[in-house]
Amino acid sequence: MTTPTWGEPSGPLTSAEFRAAAQAIMANIEQVIEGKSATVRLALAVLIAEGHLLIEDVPGVGKTKLAKALARSIDCSVRRIQFTPDLLPSDVTGVSVYNQETRDFEFKPGAVFANLVVGDEINRASPKTQSALLECMEERQVTVDGTTYELQAPFMVVATQNPIEMEGTYPLPEAQRDRFTARIAMGYPDPRAELAMLSGHGDHDPLNDLRAVADAAMVRRLIETARAVHAADAVQQYAIALVTATREAPEIRLGASPRSTLQLIRTAKAVAALEGRDYVLPDDLQALAVPVLAHRIIPTSDAQLNRRTTDAIVSEIVHRLPLPHARNPYDTRDGRASYESRGR
Amino acid sequence: MTGRRRLGLVAAAATLLAAAPLSAIFESWTWIAQCVLTVALIEGAAMATRTFRFPTWAQALSMTLALVLALTWLFPSGKEIIIPTPDTLSHFADLVRQAGEDTRSYGVPVPDRDGLLFVAVLGVGSVVIVVDLLTAVFRRPALAGLPMLAIYSIPVAVYLDSVPAIPFVIGAAGFLWLLVADNVDRVRRFGRRFTGDGRDVDVWEPSPLAAAGRRIGVVGVLVAVVVPLGVPTVTGGLLTQLTQSNSGPGGNSGTGTGRINLFASLSGQLNQNATVPLLKVTTDEPEPFYLRFAIADVLTENGFGHEAPRGRALALGLPDPRRAAATRNADYTEYRAELEITKDLQQNMAPVYTYPTVVDGLEGPWAYDEKQQVLYSNRFTTRDQKYTFTYMRAKYSPRLLQQAAPLPADDPLRAAYTATPGDATVDATVKRLITGKSSDYDKVRAIYNWFSKDNGFRYSLSATTTGKASEIAEFLTNKAGYCQQYAAAMAWMVRAAGVPARVAFGFTRGSQTGPGTYSITNRNAHAWTEVYFQGFGWVPFDATPSTGVTGSARGASNWAPDVDRPAPTASASADTGEPGPDSSADPGAANGENRANADGGPDADTGTVTEQTDWTALWIAAGVALILALLLIPALRRVLVRKRRHAATAPAAPTVLAAEGATDLTVTAESGQAREDAHAAWDELIDSMIDFRVPVDPTETPRITTQRLIRDLSLDGEPADAATLLGTAEERARYARTPLQGAELTAALRRIRSGMSAAASARTRLRAALLPPSVLLSWRLGLAEWSTRTAERLTGIRESLTRFNPRRLLSRSR
Repeated sequence: MTTPTWGEPSGPLTSAEFRAAAQAIMANIEQVIEGKSATVRLALAVLIAEGHLLIEDVPGVGKTKLAKALARSIDCSVRRIQFTPDLLPSDVTGVSVYNQETRDFEFKPGAVFANLVVGDEINRASPKTQSALLECMEERQVTVDGTTYELQAPFMVVATQNPIEMEGTYPLPEAQRDRFTARIAMGYPDPRAELAMLSGHGDHDPLNDLRAVADAAMVRRLIETARAVHAADAVQQYAIALVTATREAPEIRLGASPRSTLQLIRTAKAVAALEGRDYVLPDDLQALAVPVLAHRIIPTSDAQLNRRTTDAIVSEIVHRLPLPHARNPYDTRDGRASYESRGR
Repeated sequence: MTGRRRLGLVAAAATLLAAAPLSAIFESWTWIAQCVLTVALIEGAAMATRTFRFPTWAQALSMTLALVLALTWLFPSGKEIIIPTPDTLSHFADLVRQAGEDTRSYGVPVPDRDGLLFVAVLGVGSVVIVVDLLTAVFRRPALAGLPMLAIYSIPVAVYLDSVPAIPFVIGAAGFLWLLVADNVDRVRRFGRRFTGDGRDVDVWEPSPLAAAGRRIGVVGVLVAVVVPLGVPTVTGGLLTQLTQSNSGPGGNSGTGTGRINLFASLSGQLNQNATVPLLKVTTDEPEPFYLRFAIADVLTENGFGHEAPRGRALALGLPDPRRAAATRNADYTEYRAELEITKDLQQNMAPVYTYPTVVDGLEGPWAYDEKQQVLYSNRFTTRDQKYTFTYMRAKYSPRLLQQAAPLPADDPLRAAYTATPGDATVDATVKRLITGKSSDYDKVRAIYNWFSKDNGFRYSLSATTTGKASEIAEFLTNKAGYCQQYAAAMAWMVRAAGVPARVAFGFTRGSQTGPGTYSITNRNAHAWTEVYFQGFGWVPFDATPSTGVTGSARGASNWAPDVDRPAPTASASADTGEPGPDSSADPGAANGENRANADGGPDADTGTVTEQTDWTALWIAAGVALILALLLIPALRRVLVRKRRHAATAPAAPTVLAAEGATDLTVTAESGQAREDAHAAWDELIDSMIDFRVPVDPTETPRITTQRLIRDLSLDGEPADAATLLGTAEERARYARTPLQGAELTAALRRIRSGMSAAASARTRLRAALLPPSVLLSWRLGLAEWSTRTAERLTGIRESLTRFNPRRLLSRSR
């Protein structure tokens, strides 16, 4: 396990350095979350893609634990907000308080003023409070009483929500959902992982033993490196085609936004970097399509009545959509002729 | 009954209607009974298979089987019981061969010959199958018109000029019925049809909407009929035929009345496609010369023409050449001949040998023109005549001919028969040829000898001419022609030399069918030159090369021997041999040659037949080879494509793998090349997958494709590594900054191909090698795209034409 050097000058990392740092973080988290390496990797990819993560699953599968483990692995400021029905927007963003000594209003920063914000049970707060997150998540700034405060970089919101319990919850509005880069489900662990969990968690909480393996500066360099990953024209076209297909699919009432295209490519770059590639593959996009796109789209009432989940709709689109410039033997386009525009 | 089955019935009936033109070929109606039976069987088979919803190929197969069964029952070889056996097939082959012979030996209309009936039934049956499939299965009734038209083309090919129109109308009606039935069926698929006032329209009732179509159709037909009438140059159409009085089948009745062009009639007969037997002659003369019926003795700018014969009635007796002063000097022998003329020779001049003395059995009043030596009638024709006649065969000795004195210049006969239009080339040639020749005979022989192979003359039926004087002169330079050019040219030249000459028309000896019996067809029509010698009369000279003339008697005359044959030695002179100074021909030898020639008639014919079968076999072999070659084209194309791709993917020079994570964005020539190579290799892999029937999914990335390939075909070891390598190379070529360089893609391709081949079934392997599906697929798609594009273009044109409105132009100009 490599410990990053502190105060290192920033700049893109080499492939080996990137992998070492990423591996360190993932291994650290996996001490707590057993048998969920794909989910952990995705969570890290969202962090490197400068996105926000929505973890949605039934209670007790380790949503909060994942969020906390990620936060602990990185030595940076972490805030945790428990979203409750009586939570106020000012609790999230901050509030100006009258200071009698200075005889002036003084800004008390809210919970979002941190590198990592863990929002637990986000759908339990009222829409009013949920909306307080809109500005900070997208624009990475908070405006209170006309003054705008920049948030620190990196900034990531990891929110959890429970899709089963509907009583006393407020579903996230579309605008809010669109701001989350990816929605992941934890899923139940397999029996072996569950056994390992029992033996590991029996006497103490391993979360307490976690030590930070990276700091904010390191994360910034990770982000910078991932940005430099090459996404070929063909890949970008494929991303656009995927997103466009969600807008045109007959089962979908509201398709994915242009923001989602951007976030899809960004996340794909991060995933590619995590796999040690300096170029994005359509495979990355295919793997990310469901987590990145599925939570943003609204199916038609027909599709809902047919119990078609958005996940199923998106993965069907992935399986239906031909690759750009891929030679289609059942199409009249000649394979040879399309080479000019293929490749880089 | 479903629409499909009804359509099948209509198709069968329409084909039978379309077969109506065959009635012009057969004498009796047996063929139609057999065709109806066969068609009924075939259609029954089709309906049965359709009732049980068999696939298309099964329908086609059942119809073919029905055809074979019908043929077996109608034309049994006698050895089979209901089911055809190999004997039946060989019998069929015999029938086809017999049909081939019959087409050569019979003129239309033909009697009920088994071979011809077999071919007719086979043809109509095949057309029914094709029409049925096109109409009921592929729903393209318009295309069905082509095989139906094929039937109509048979009488068109057989009859050169006149084709009966009524059968064509019947056939066309059948085709239209087919089209209407299909369209009605199409419309009915939408549901019931209604008139404008809501009344239900019956199935076969034409749609009220069709009224406009009918009006347009009537106007169109009227215009098509009326416009050609107004144009004087359009002849030979239906109306011309209807208005012509003496038209008849056979096309050789032109020699009927009035002044006719004998040359045109001659070339017409020689160029006719069918061989029509015209007459049969039996004579006791061992080596008969040509039968003769007309002459052309007027040479003008328009070529040789003839005057109507004038003479005494037969009943008044015929002159005896032995007694006439003009012909006394020749040597005469009396012979007897019997002539039997078929109904196809219909003319008012009767063919006879020269110098007939007694003619018996000719029906009607006939007369003999002594000057022209032509037997003619003004009202009766030779059709179906049978007559016998006694005639004097003249033999001329070259020596005596040489002694014949030239006619005095003021002799009316000389004046009439030496007139020429005058042509510088002809005169110069004649002058050159006759220089130094004193006697008329020597001059004539000099001219006659000039028409030899050595001087470049050859026989060619393809020389088309109108018989004009200028063309006769032209013949002397191009030197290719047939009897009419030779006879006319020689006559002219002899005239130019100051010796009376004319052109005689008749028939060659034909082919010998028995002792002294000769069969003569239209192909034996012939023309030759006659030269007048004082005291001998008109002496025949045949300048046409004997190679092109069946039954030529060129060698029979020792006064005009065949110049193209090597002159035999004059030692063994026989009976009449009088070797003159100029004649080196030995009559005996000439006779021998001639016999060989005459006997060679049938021999030559069989020779042609065997040669033809040889040719047929060769053609079949060539056809099979061609089909095989065509079948191999996709495989060849596949091999070539693979070779090109392999050449592209073979590593040119050992280069190091590009460093991972290189951020160099400039695309160097090498990396561009590597990219192309990877694409070529990947294309080859995809094509190989198509060839080996591994599904190709355009939504898959290269990585997933290779993974699936390895998993599905359970590849392992080298092929699996090769697949992974190809996948990586293509992936990097498509999506990475730098492609994979220096990889052994060709070797990898070979390995994975062998891996795929090992995993495939034998049939798939064979198909991949012989008929690669990838090539076929790309061709099919190319064709589909091309046709789509063409259709779009045509639609565009049609739309612009539809939008075109002349009224708009008018209003604009106003």
